[in-house]
Amino acid sequence: MSAQMIVFALASALALVFALLMVVVKTPVKSVLSLVVTFFGLAVLSILLAAPFIAALQVIVYAGAILVLFLFVIMLLNLQKEATEKDARPIHRVLSLVAVLASGGLLAGVTLRAGAPPVPLTAPAAAYAIPAADEIPLLGRLLFSDYLLAFEALSVLLLLAAVGALILSKRRFE
Amino acid sequence: MTLTLSEPLFNALLAVVKILFVWAMTLAALLPNLIWAERRVSGLIQDRPGPNRVGPLGLFQAVADVLKLMMKEDVVPLYVDKVLFTLAPLITLTPALVTFAVIPFGSSIPITWNGAVRDVPLVIADVNVGILYIFALTSLAVYGIVLAGWSSNDKYSLLGGVRASAQIISYELAMGFSAAGVFIAAGSLRLPAVVEWQHAHLWNVVPQFLGFVVFAVAIFAETNRIPFDLSEAEAELVAGYHTEYSSFRFAMFFMGEYANLIAASAVVTTLYFGGWSLPGVAFTGLWGGLASIAVFAVKTAAFIFLFLWVRWTLPRFRYDQLMELGWKVFLPLSFFHLIAVAAFVAASGR
Repeated sequence: MSAQMIVFALASALALVFALLMVVVKTPVKSVLSLVVTFFGLAVLSILLAAPFIAALQVIVYAGAILVLFLFVIMLLNLQKEATEKDARPIHRVLSLVAVLASGGLLAGVTLRAGAPPVPLTAPAAAYAIPAADEIPLLGRLLFSDYLLAFEALSVLLLLAAVGALILSKRRFE
Repeated sequence: MTLTLSEPLFNALLAVVKILFVWAMTLAALLPNLIWAERRVSGLIQDRPGPNRVGPLGLFQAVADVLKLMMKEDVVPLYVDKVLFTLAPLITLTPALVTFAVIPFGSSIPITWNGAVRDVPLVIADVNVGILYIFALTSLAVYGIVLAGWSSNDKYSLLGGVRASAQIISYELAMGFSAAGVFIAAGSLRLPAVVEWQHAHLWNVVPQFLGFVVFAVAIFAETNRIPFDLSEAEAELVAGYHTEYSSFRFAMFFMGEYANLIAASAVVTTLYFGGWSLPGVAFTGLWGGLASIAVFAVKTAAFIFLFLWVRWTLPRFRYDQLMELGWKVFLPLSFFHLIAVAAFVAASGR
């Protein structure tokens, strides 16, 4: 077993365990913290895939900005404990079960259809086609050429979401 | 002496030596002197001697301070969240100590190994996402403050934590955009490349003065120093996020703040003031390498002094002023700066 496989196993285990904790834990603040650890696990996986740039973005954007914002909201509303399960109606449980099964099935289907990765996970980082130094320029060029439409569409989507949230919150106060 | 080490083992050994050196410099040499300097500079500015009794010029004041804090009773209030309450000071301290991994603290030192001379660059890890690594860490440092505020189960601490989280997010964007100018100019995210570019051309502070100003102000906000230490704000929040902390736990926050300050000064030096380089001076050979370390240390120390100077001369902002300044002044300025630098670089055809 190579060192890479060991790191892969550890990071995946870390990500999975804390992802589970995120769902199970009753205190919202601790859920957010579990998610932070999960993102760290994912960042390590990105580094193993010879994509340190993606790993850094993962930590900066998700762990460093979005989750801090989550924490801010949770603390501002001073949520101590999640609503207990008694409050949930039976229909909620049925619906959530359906949602879990559907998304799980979707994930399983995609994974099965994708087949084996083009480069085996056990291969050294050098086996990947992109040298580390070219990663960022290549990514930038792809974003603004092949994936320009998707990239801009996503930006517009985010902008819409922000504007929408603003309008919704304004309406409530008026 | 014929000592044969395999290549990976030799590199690992070098890395360990560099890490020990950097931590010895920051933790054992800079940090205690910084605690002393803070109090002496405040004395200087307020026209009083400051602590001058413990050791020559009061230099051992930091030792006395830390010993005093360790001897004090460690009070853990009843209704705190024990795990997070204990973790929070550690989370504040760690990112600052790990930041130094990518900062080049000198040029290079020749080392003879297996009969061949090789130049060992004085940076622990030359990763190609250097600055992003630093941003990732600085954005994580806030978790310590936020968690301390939340786990204390006390409204003043909570308010301090909430303020810190909003403040960090507001200034992180401006910081990132202003720093991006440096990397567009250097054409790389690697910090050694940034230093070499400045060595070959010009210190970034001259062509990118606007970026420097935005970055420096954002760093004051990110390190929670006056005029932006709203998460502590003793006039309104008792002591903010560390109200419930005592004894050594408090000392860890105290040290964390200074460790962050040293890291921030080192980053500003690297990005805008040429790092270890001096214009027109080539640092080669063993003595050149050592001299470059000294140059880097002096520049960093100058920045640390700036931090102290500002702390003891400027009043604290109000919270709404802080937010307004971040979003309405510094963020647009950093956008403008980034576009200007990008346009210039594109026009000069590089």
